[in-house]
Amino acid sequence: MLERFTDEARWAVTHSQDEARALRAERIEPVHVLLALTREPGRAGQLLRDAGLDHDRLRDAVVRSGPLDADALAAVGIDLDQVRAATEAAFGPGALDRGRRSPSGHIPFADAGKQVLVETVRLVGRRHLGRIDAGHLLFGVLTVADPQVSRLLQQLGVDLDALREQAAGADAA
Amino acid sequence: MASPTDVTTAAAADDPDTGLRAIRALRDLADRLEVLQVGNARSRGWSWQQIADALGVSKQAVHKKHATSRRDR
Repeated sequence: MLERFTDEARWAVTHSQDEARALRAERIEPVHVLLALTREPGRAGQLLRDAGLDHDRLRDAVVRSGPLDADALAAVGIDLDQVRAATEAAFGPGALDRGRRSPSGHIPFADAGKQVLVETVRLVGRRHLGRIDAGHLLFGVLTVADPQVSRLLQQLGVDLDALREQAAGADAA
Repeated sequence: MASPTDVTTAAAADDPDTGLRAIRALRDLADRLEVLQVGNARSRGWSWQQIADALGVSKQAVHKKHATSRRDR
């Protein structure tokens, strides 16, 4: 299947694993594919950057939306932002929110991550296109409507449906 | 997000749902900080025994929890 991907799309798939590894995730989720796409130099990456989704902003939002329950901690007098700031001062950016997985070795796709690839290929199949590019991959991410991605985009003020239409767009018809 | 000085959120800690959520959040936070600090101690040459003593647990417990995911067992 990957032989039908353009270089940029293949690059994005490979770098999804790097994004997952950097965030110490157990599996590659749609959000990791999205992070990789924000760095893609072509049309898909540009669409994301134009929508205000540059890599660092998105990554920051991913890290901050992590499982630590800020409201529950605040109820007992702990300011998570302060704890985070102190931890990052000592141990570097993202130190508090990173997962436990050690940063080496192959990381498999989560079911949702695999579903991204399925949707991408499905779109391309419907249109009888030969090559699968990064824009199609972005469409795949946005079609799966993974709850984490949906929540993040809403948080960052991005209209998912509009973005999805644009991603399906340019090569269109 | 609620601020720690907000009286109403402090009162909300009387509600077991919030209280238990807080316990869970404290545990998650403590776990993460523990991983960072154990790593920190190891990188400064602390022995597993010294780390266990500082944490108030057995050497076996700390070794089991941390050594298996680190390369410096």
